[in-house]
Amino acid sequence: MTHQSVTGVRPTPATRKYNFARRENLYGYLFISPWLIGFFLLTLGPALASMALSFTKYNILRPPQFLGLDNYIYALSKDKLFYPSIIRTFYYAALSVPLGVLGSMFLAILLNTGVKGITVFRTLFYVPSLVPIMAAAILFGWLLHPDFGPINAAIRGLFHVAAPGWFSDRRYALPSLVMMSLWLGVGGTRMIIFLAGLQGIPQELYEAASIDGASPWHSTRHITIPLLSPTIFFNVILGVIGALQVFTSAFVTTSGGPAYATYFIGLHIYYQAFDYLSMGYACTLAWLFAVIIVTLTLVQQRFSGKWVFYYGG
Amino acid sequence: MSSTVTIRPTAQTSLSESSRKRRRINKVLAYFFLTVCGLVFAFPLYWTLNASLQTWMELRSYTPKLYPSIPQWHNYVEVFQTHPFARWMLNSFLIIAIALPGELLTAMSCAYGFARFRFKGNNFWFMVMLGTMMIPGQVLLIPQYLLFHHLGWVNTYIPLTIGSWLGGGAFAIFLLRQFILSLPRDLDEAAMMDGAGPFRTLWQVLVPLMQPALITLGILAFLGHWNNFMGPFIYLRKYELFTAAVGLRFFQTVVGAGGATEKPREHLLMAGSAIMTVPAVLLFILAQRYFVRGVVMSGLKM
Repeated sequence: MTHQSVTGVRPTPATRKYNFARRENLYGYLFISPWLIGFFLLTLGPALASMALSFTKYNILRPPQFLGLDNYIYALSKDKLFYPSIIRTFYYAALSVPLGVLGSMFLAILLNTGVKGITVFRTLFYVPSLVPIMAAAILFGWLLHPDFGPINAAIRGLFHVAAPGWFSDRRYALPSLVMMSLWLGVGGTRMIIFLAGLQGIPQELYEAASIDGASPWHSTRHITIPLLSPTIFFNVILGVIGALQVFTSAFVTTSGGPAYATYFIGLHIYYQAFDYLSMGYACTLAWLFAVIIVTLTLVQQRFSGKWVFYYGG
Repeated sequence: MSSTVTIRPTAQTSLSESSRKRRRINKVLAYFFLTVCGLVFAFPLYWTLNASLQTWMELRSYTPKLYPSIPQWHNYVEVFQTHPFARWMLNSFLIIAIALPGELLTAMSCAYGFARFRFKGNNFWFMVMLGTMMIPGQVLLIPQYLLFHHLGWVNTYIPLTIGSWLGGGAFAIFLLRQFILSLPRDLDEAAMMDGAGPFRTLWQVLVPLMQPALITLGILAFLGHWNNFMGPFIYLRKYELFTAAVGLRFFQTVVGAGGATEKPREHLLMAGSAIMTVPAVLLFILAQRYFVRGVVMSGLKM
């Protein structure tokens, strides 16, 4: 501007481009600076610190003591709880992710049929995800109580069979936890994301299919699911990451029991850190676990090309 | 000519009749499944209310009662008398009041930076940001705890709110960025032509259009803080500083030292949980239209 008024000559395209690029850099970094600062202070810094601590023995009270690879060797060869807790965590994810993602998708498809009263149903499905985890833990402890719970009363009354012990039975504790997490999560934000995905599918496709005499099942199978596959993929990725980090629900419901039946890797890390004050070893476990999650996510992304379909893209 | 004219209408009416019939069947099926799912979802909610209005003895009867014989409304009063539950709820609101403006402002700023400026490293940092979603919380939990511990921030609300003032996390920024990308660029270029700087362009042109996304983010942030358990559980050690989500723990029956059992109070816990769910549900009902639109338009579906 000053350039122009003084000399009366427009800036050459080259200088304009240069100024523009410099401003883009300046403003770009200025605007993302909150995240950038947060990234260095709250993510990268702590991640590196955790990496460093993972090679030490550290209990907060005394300065860290360098151990080399001892923690890693212990975790991989001697820790009797490490592999079982990892396997259990995968088992939990394998049960809860497919059921959760399919459940959310099913509810979203129902809500997208456009029948009257959708708002009421949408609210009803969403409300469980608003229930505080502590309350859900106690609530399900009751609903599934072996002796006083309504579910078991119904099972005994209807089928006259011995009802399962749910949370107090080693075989049923983990599935019970999955049931609770499904109730809490199926109708939550994931369902809304599916609803958004469904609303992005061009209506003409259904009309065309309907004129060709396609049944609702066929439309779902050949239109909805392929066009929804990016949303499914997004939710599976987030779902797997979330499920592998399962912690709070097990922590407040069963504390890992009975007999380690719900003792996930997240709980192992927590108890090592905050009950035994083995901060160094807990970091080792956390890093081993991080490597597993990252590998798994990358593998999923690698294979997504085989089944994820981008409409018009 | 005349024959085709007479045939066509009949073919169409028969088609529309059958498709109407099919549509009716679909509707019935949809209602059937909606009702079944609705009942499954509603039952535990009903049980919360049911349990919150019973006495402890009633709750422990061998045949569970489908409704309280005499509704114990005073349970809802006792929640506030046994523990400073009102104070805890106020604390939760306080944390939200500190965190929410920060999350909206800084996430908006970062999203704008990523969506509209072609600065060097834009893609790189964006990928890094998405990558942070993969890092398990447990990896950061311990060093962050140590950091805040050494800074003397344990028993303050800083550890629970600082992240909100630093972009609010990858998911928040991603959501808003996708939304900004869906808005035509001509809008901000026109504003820039008229002499508005980037700040004014963001604030006066984009923010009014971003309402659905901002409301969506606001709801998610509100609920995240309202129900956050682990954060307050780890960083708050003082009874009077607790949030409602963590305070609920104190209504659990605790077996005291020496085997002495406290008076059971789980019916109060259910009343407390019902009280806690109310603000969240109201918020969702009031804002759900924007909420769904915000998710639709931000293209979170990827």
